[in-house]
Amino acid sequence: MTTHLIESNEKNETTKQMTMIQAINDGMRIMLEEDNRTIILGEDIGKNGGVFRATEGLQEKFGNDRVVDTPLSEAGIIGTSIGLAVNGFRPVVEIQFLGFIYPAYEQIMTHVSRIRTRSMSHFTVPMVIRAPYGAGIRAPEIHSDSTEILFTHMPGIKVVCPSSPYDAKGLLIAAMEDPDPVLVLETMRNYRSKREEVPVGKYTVEIGKGKIVREGTDVTLIAWGAMVTIAEKAAEQAVQQGISCEIIDLRTLYPIDRDILSQSVQKTTRAVIVHEAHNTGGLGNDIISIINDTSFLYLRAPIERVTGFDVPVPFFSLEEHYLPTPARVLKGIEKVVHF
Amino acid sequence: MLEVKLHDIGEGMTEGEIVQYLVKVGDRIKTDQPLVEVQTDKMIAELSSPCSGVVTKIVINPGETVQVGTSLIYIKADNNSEAKQPTQTEENHNPYIKAILPSEKSGKSSLNTFHRVLATPYTRKIARDNNISIDDVRASDLSGRVSEEDVYRFLKSEQVENEPIAEVQQITIKKETPDEIPFRGIRKKIAQKMTKSLFTIPHVTHFDEVNMSNLFKIREQLKASGESISVSAFLIKALVISLKDFPIFNAELDEENDLILLKKNYHIGLATNTDNGLLVPVIHDSDKKSIREINEQVKWLTKKAKAGKLKPFEMQHSTFTMSNVGPLGSTGATPIINYPETAIIAFHKTKKQPIVNDQDEIVIGHIMTLSMAFDHRVADGATAVAFTNRFASLIEHPHKLMMEMI
Repeated sequence: MTTHLIESNEKNETTKQMTMIQAINDGMRIMLEEDNRTIILGEDIGKNGGVFRATEGLQEKFGNDRVVDTPLSEAGIIGTSIGLAVNGFRPVVEIQFLGFIYPAYEQIMTHVSRIRTRSMSHFTVPMVIRAPYGAGIRAPEIHSDSTEILFTHMPGIKVVCPSSPYDAKGLLIAAMEDPDPVLVLETMRNYRSKREEVPVGKYTVEIGKGKIVREGTDVTLIAWGAMVTIAEKAAEQAVQQGISCEIIDLRTLYPIDRDILSQSVQKTTRAVIVHEAHNTGGLGNDIISIINDTSFLYLRAPIERVTGFDVPVPFFSLEEHYLPTPARVLKGIEKVVHF
Repeated sequence: MLEVKLHDIGEGMTEGEIVQYLVKVGDRIKTDQPLVEVQTDKMIAELSSPCSGVVTKIVINPGETVQVGTSLIYIKADNNSEAKQPTQTEENHNPYIKAILPSEKSGKSSLNTFHRVLATPYTRKIARDNNISIDDVRASDLSGRVSEEDVYRFLKSEQVENEPIAEVQQITIKKETPDEIPFRGIRKKIAQKMTKSLFTIPHVTHFDEVNMSNLFKIREQLKASGESISVSAFLIKALVISLKDFPIFNAELDEENDLILLKKNYHIGLATNTDNGLLVPVIHDSDKKSIREINEQVKWLTKKAKAGKLKPFEMQHSTFTMSNVGPLGSTGATPIINYPETAIIAFHKTKKQPIVNDQDEIVIGHIMTLSMAFDHRVADGATAVAFTNRFASLIEHPHKLMMEMI
């Protein structure tokens, strides 16, 4: 079980066992209560409580002016939110699946990410886009994409990706308080896979900071979202071979925490990056570049990547073959340790 | 811009000494014009220009020894069609001449790219942190990759070397600084070859005497008729005939494939003493040449050897080597086989000696001693003795020699 440093703003606060979806719901509830500029928009998020029940009970509590069921139009939702945001609201958008965001991509890239630059900071777009993403829950086509790189490539949008209930709530609140747009990628696989103690009050997890979720000496595993769990399982197996793995949960994909990467790799001298996105053009390449820039002389072996394959995420019967498994990660670990 | 690099002239050479440049910066040059003289392991070779153009830069100073692949000269090539610009394919054929892109810094190109040490960045860091060059560290691994352990071992050995041995140093011994001769070039090559031969081949040497009297008579008669033929030429001819009878000595042991390769060519190497050391020019196809032709070729090649002007092919592919040390003296030796051949023969001084002839009379004979070393892995003593017997009979009875000629 992973231990967390409590980064709560109100220390000694009581905590409660929560799943990730409950923690996200809790985060939005707190902000709706605290800040009446907050407004939630999305498809089926009101009465229905969202496809994953992330907004369950919120419309009932805060009314359909603040928790708005929108038409099936991602471009429309984002476009509306931009208008709300530049006029003083704090919109939080739910895109049902990251794979459905493409119709809104134009809005995000040409407006959300650029209005601050275009207006020379006269306007900012303080909005949050929440998007469930990733494979492993046997969803149909398009529902399982892990295309975070499309958003990390464009300056102007922060991209966070919590893997635990604690981080999910803390990062979501931090995103909602951020003056600039933040994309929150929520790995569906972890929505209900585990519970942990989460403070019931308000707290934030700093955007741009990774976290060491396991300390080790021989190799650094770098992961985010659902892959943190896979890396943890692989690290357990590596122990049997006497290999000590340190695991970094990157948590923020843009801007990346360069310090945590360089400090850990300089300590362990080896690195394996685990992501479920496609290998080609994946975020792993940027991480390799950062390690190259900061820690090249410390490397005992070329950096290894364990990733999804360069094919569209396959249908559910083949999903497990597409995703990195602990066995594949272990192979990567062995490769760098025995280089 | 073209970069002319030192390339392997054809002997698997790894380095060469720059003797002199035949051009200077600013000179206009033509394609194939000689640019620089390079002292290789065996000879002085000329590198010629791959294009016409103007010399813009000379990188290495004469006297310096540099690795194969090192840039020597930069040429601004003419753009006309006549110029031999390195095309893509040409570049593939000759990796030592390459067009330099404007973005490349010429200053760095003199770095030798062929002998880079293989090591991970972390290993390099250890070396750097300890102020040692990773190039000095030897890899213990067969792959050639220098490991961290190798660096630590190197550090340790350096410390041991540098540790003062106080008690011993207190005894003052007047230290004479020895004169230093750089051990490189031909001398080093000879050393390497000899070591390899002697450590690989179990040498056996036997000695014999040959009565040269009849041969000397024939030489005198030839001289009287205006033809001067060296003894070497006769010896080579007799050797070739003997080798045809005993092909095992004109052979090479292929250790990898467990085969003894009997050569069908008779290329006789002629060990030659020069100011620079031992060189072995080769009389190719000696079996197809007359004694007169052999004689002329021996003279020509010996002259070139002494001038250091032998071309690579003139020193390659010998199948058997002879060494005529007679003119210098000595009565016996244990010659080292010219690896990978199977035998070598050395001829020594010819002395006047009393000998008993077939009529039991004591007469004055001209006796030459010879030493024959052979590879005992492929041949035995009896065969070697039979070989020298056959050789001696051809020399002692030159009419037999005549019978064998084509």
